Amino acid sequence: MTNSIEDIEDADCILIIGSNTFEQHPLIARRVVKAKDKGAKIIVIDPRKTMTAKQADLYLQIVPGTNVALINAMMHVIIKEGLIDEEFIKNRTKGFEELKKVVEKYTPEYASKICKVDKDLIVEAARVYGSAKRASILYCMGVTQFTHGVDNVKSCCNLALITGNIGKRGTGVNPLRGQNNVQGACDMGALPDVFPGYQKVNVAYEKFEEIWGVELNHEMGLTIPEMIKKAGKEIKFLYIMGENPMVSDPDIKHVEKALKSLDFLVVQDIFLTETAELADIVLPAACWAEKEGTFTNTERRVQLIRKAVNPPGEALEDWVIIKKLAEKLDYGDKFNYKSPKDIFEEIRKVTPQYAGITYERLGVDGIHWPCPNETHPGTPILHVEKFLTQDDLGRIFPIEYKNPAELPDDEYPFILTTGRIIFHYHTGTMTRRSKHMINEINDGFVEINPKDAKKLGIKNNDLVKVSSRRGGVAVKAKITENIKEGVVFMPFHFAETAANLLTNPAIDPYCKIPEFKVCAVKIEKL
Amino acid sequence: MKYLLVKSTDSEILKRAECGGAVTSLFKYLLDKKLVDGVLALKKGEDVYDGIPVFITSSDELPEVSGSLHCATINFGKIIGKYFADKKIAVPTKPCDAMAIKELAKLKQVNLDNIYMIGLNCGGTVSPITAMKMIKLFYEVNPKDVIKEEIDKGKFIIFLKDGTEKAIKIDELEERGFGRRKNCQRCEVMIPRMADIACGNWGAEKGWTFVEVCSEKGRKLIEDAEKEGYIKIKEPSKKAIEIREKIENVMIKMAKKFQKKHLEEEYPSLEEWQKYWNRCIKCYGCRDNCPLCFCVECKLEKDYMEKGKIPPNPIMFQGIRLSHVSPSCINCGQCEDACPMDIPLSYIFHRMQLRFRDTFGYIPGVDDSLPPLISELDK
Ligand code: SF4
Ligand code: SF4
Ligand code: SF4
Repeated sequence: MTNSIEDIEDADCILIIGSNTFEQHPLIARRVVKAKDKGAKIIVIDPRKTMTAKQADLYLQIVPGTNVALINAMMHVIIKEGLIDEEFIKNRTKGFEELKKVVEKYTPEYASKICKVDKDLIVEAARVYGSAKRASILYCMGVTQFTHGVDNVKSCCNLALITGNIGKRGTGVNPLRGQNNVQGACDMGALPDVFPGYQKVNVAYEKFEEIWGVELNHEMGLTIPEMIKKAGKEIKFLYIMGENPMVSDPDIKHVEKALKSLDFLVVQDIFLTETAELADIVLPAACWAEKEGTFTNTERRVQLIRKAVNPPGEALEDWVIIKKLAEKLDYGDKFNYKSPKDIFEEIRKVTPQYAGITYERLGVDGIHWPCPNETHPGTPILHVEKFLTQDDLGRIFPIEYKNPAELPDDEYPFILTTGRIIFHYHTGTMTRRSKHMINEINDGFVEINPKDAKKLGIKNNDLVKVSSRRGGVAVKAKITENIKEGVVFMPFHFAETAANLLTNPAIDPYCKIPEFKVCAVKIEKL
Repeated sequence: MKYLLVKSTDSEILKRAECGGAVTSLFKYLLDKKLVDGVLALKKGEDVYDGIPVFITSSDELPEVSGSLHCATINFGKIIGKYFADKKIAVPTKPCDAMAIKELAKLKQVNLDNIYMIGLNCGGTVSPITAMKMIKLFYEVNPKDVIKEEIDKGKFIIFLKDGTEKAIKIDELEERGFGRRKNCQRCEVMIPRMADIACGNWGAEKGWTFVEVCSEKGRKLIEDAEKEGYIKIKEPSKKAIEIREKIENVMIKMAKKFQKKHLEEEYPSLEEWQKYWNRCIKCYGCRDNCPLCFCVECKLEKDYMEKGKIPPNPIMFQGIRLSHVSPSCINCGQCEDACPMDIPLSYIFHRMQLRFRDTFGYIPGVDDSLPPLISELDK
């Protein structure tokens, strides 16, 4: 997030796109509620009329995968009606003229045909966002999980940049991270192309060779979809930690084949997941309450966690497992840590954003990175005075709308979009072991619009078969007005009715995220 | 012997004590003489806004838990019912703690024979977030620099690292939407007479604790502790008793004013309630934190409730809890504190209770009987 969670309360307009904030980030929704109580206008863009959409002043029920067209049209209106922040564009950005040219053709009428959203609603949303003093954008996987995910994100940035909604309280472009420490994992370089602190492997490798005292591979690594593709071929051994691709990755049938073709599979997790069941060796790990360390949350806040109980049985903290492995590999001297604090001291040394953070300073509230030195208070809001570019200017990238990789046709006439529900967490590794959660709901379903259901002769709770080019799933139908006509929705938590048997492994060319949010399916009554 | 002035005989305790050190000395007596297994109390956590319930079993640990924490809004009722039902304990109780414990005792969730309730007069608590915000806004200091806080003579006083202190009238803070929790503003029970004794500084001479003896057990405790030399006792003057009464009456009047304001003048309309219920994410926080919701098999989790969907139907979800709990609602505010969606839950529960009280005369946490409907069911 460019901004902090707390300052959302100060927004006059909150544009929520591709995020079901109330179900997936309730404590961020709480800030939305507070802003709304103070008079902020809420705009929600989502193919599903989610609980979040129901809180909105303006709700735009979009066709999945058409975000770019919609945002371009909003910018078209904003530019035409003079709602841009000229000062900001002039002093702080670059690329506006090109953007202007590109969005020229994205009239509300034109976008309305692509997105299937009433053109007047687009105009109104543009006016509300464009005329707000402080407007904040919240987005989530409904923006990123597309073959043009990066384009979507850039579009959101464009919108914020041309209206000057960045660098102050109650504004910003705010991706909501789905896990407590996914930000921290990225910060630490758990990505194929960077070392800690987003230092590119092909650039910073010498620095890290010196610090770590080993020779390093300076070629970019592989993303998960690439690993799965190469499993059994170039890749013979895979070590998976805290990830359950047998439920969470697209095209599970293919994932299973890939994992089974490995020579050796090690899975480290707190429970025996669907993926761990395929492993040659399972390393039992400690859960959050059983270890010490830091988590860095979606607002870049580094937070200290303390152990409440010891890990059960043979389970160990992740860092202890890694240290022991290193010792077996004769690298014990390089992993000579006695505690998570020792590791944090190294993190500070190699990660410029964390340099000023110490365990002592973290206290209960934590510190927002970047925090370059020990007297720096941390940075809840990014880009206040300048952007992190060589010339300090924010880049506006004109974006053309592109179709998703797989569109409905005669054989597979519906768009399937996938997501989560409030009661379960990701692949259910944890929540599906909770009595209270499974009492609430423990089965998958497919949401179908009543009009589509009628055409197919499907009634509520009927068992239907949803199939795509990759596989089929028998699942209960849930007939609801909340889903757009022509679109169906499935939660991906449930391995028995795995939505990801159907999804398309096509990926974004830049960040390699799979297109979980759009694929073509057909539906038959069973 | 109904009203007493009590003073500790322990110079260490007196040094730390805010007024006479009676409470700490009584705990010391109970622990030393092994009359209880332990004392359940609050200890200061990371800062003054953080209170952690601890169970201490030796009087050496008493310094950790003495002193009040007005920003720790924990209620002990449920903790005792859940974790200490089979222990002999002593516990310092604000009126809402004592009322919760009393209600739970009627419902056989705790056994009063096992509990010494050392009541503390209470003029209200402040939620930690509100406290930090108002300290930043109106006291214009960094909330982290506060090392101690106090409520005295209608003022919220903070003591800073650098030795200075700052005070602002609670009235003023509340006019601006800060100050005590909303339920505390409406609370009419300042003196916990349902506890075994009620302690405080209202009417007390400097260096003494004013104690009202409220039960036979309380009387014996005071007598024995004096006999064993833990405390000194003297009679308060008539004037002291009058002052205390006057303070109490003024505060009750103020509470009634707030009841009128919150529960009538500013009470949310039906549409506003609809808007609130539409935000409910069915997290069960209100139920889990309500001291009176203790059922092993809660009706809210039964199959006739529509499952797997939010917001839940308010007539069923909030409605069932209202019908089960509101007759005995003690307006402790735990539900509202817990609600992640900022739904003003204790407004509706408190208002329903007051209606119930007006109709049936039942005062929860004070009356010895069960609420009329529950007693009907019992027969
Ligand atoms: S309903 Fe709320 S205010 Fe009433 S007793 Fe329960 S938690 Fe306290
Ligand atoms: S809502 Fe009713 S059934 Fe559920 S715990 Fe509370 S009192 Fe018991
Ligand atoms: S605490 Fe609030 S959000 Fe949670 S169940 Fe209760 S009313 Fe709903």
